[in-house]
Amino acid sequence: MKRMRKSMNWLAVTVALILFVPAAKAQSQNPLSDPEIASVAVTANQIDVDYGQLALKKSHNADIRKFAETMISDHKNIIQQATALAQRLHVTPKTNAMTQSLLNGETATMKTLKAKSGTAFDKAYAQNEAAYHEAVVGAVKTKLIPETQNAELKGLLQSVVPLLEHHTMMAKELASKF
Amino acid sequence: MKKFIQIVAVCFSVCLILAGCDNGSSSSTVESTGPQRDTVIIKLMAFTPDTLTVNKGDTVVWINQDIVAHDVSHFPDRAWHSDTLNPQNVFVKVIDDSSSYFCSIHPTMRATVLLKK
Repeated sequence: MKRMRKSMNWLAVTVALILFVPAAKAQSQNPLSDPEIASVAVTANQIDVDYGQLALKKSHNADIRKFAETMISDHKNIIQQATALAQRLHVTPKTNAMTQSLLNGETATMKTLKAKSGTAFDKAYAQNEAAYHEAVVGAVKTKLIPETQNAELKGLLQSVVPLLEHHTMMAKELASKF
Repeated sequence: MKKFIQIVAVCFSVCLILAGCDNGSSSSTVESTGPQRDTVIIKLMAFTPDTLTVNKGDTVVWINQDIVAHDVSHFPDRAWHSDTLNPQNVFVKVIDDSSSYFCSIHPTMRATVLLKK
């Protein structure tokens, strides 16, 4: 059972990395501009809001629902701040390959999650949250922050890292319950 | 002579006012027996300082300077707790006992208030 759980964890991480990392690698030769980074940041946060809203629709588990509510609230807050900062800096978020890759990943994950119900859904949601946050933390640290030109935008991304790392811990703890 | 007395009176009044205004800042040099006020900053997913030592009856002010909402809740049973603190919101509590506390929204954020012995 423990081995099974471990393989499920690895599966979730692998899926997230497959969905997220190629876009980062593909663009590693071409650094993102600040408008592109703003687009990636807003999209990555919105995707987790979407996953949370799906969890609230499908799950009756109190822990899952509380976690989903926190994700929705925290990521909406970041979107608001990123949007306000972009407006103040006159930066219009620009869609790019990384944004598109994130959206493609969301479509595939949503399809998988929507096909599940009950405990199977709860487990898949929690595992996906752990893997997704881990992948996003990696991308923010190794790609978005180093390539951001504007100091304020860089500062916002840096201040988000502890939150994302905390979300990762919370998600792993949640996933370990299933 | 009258003018001299007026000037002395004005100077004396100014001195009294300044002495009154200085009460707050001089508390660090003059030992005070009254309740003190301490501050805990909530930022980057942490309470700073994570251990605060106070006298019984002192007031602690928590200021949320983070980018998301938090709360301040007695650990582990939320026997006392703040409302949800949105960014820049403040929670004030008079401390009567040592206790650990946490953010119930982000449960791995924990800290402690200790009473001086």
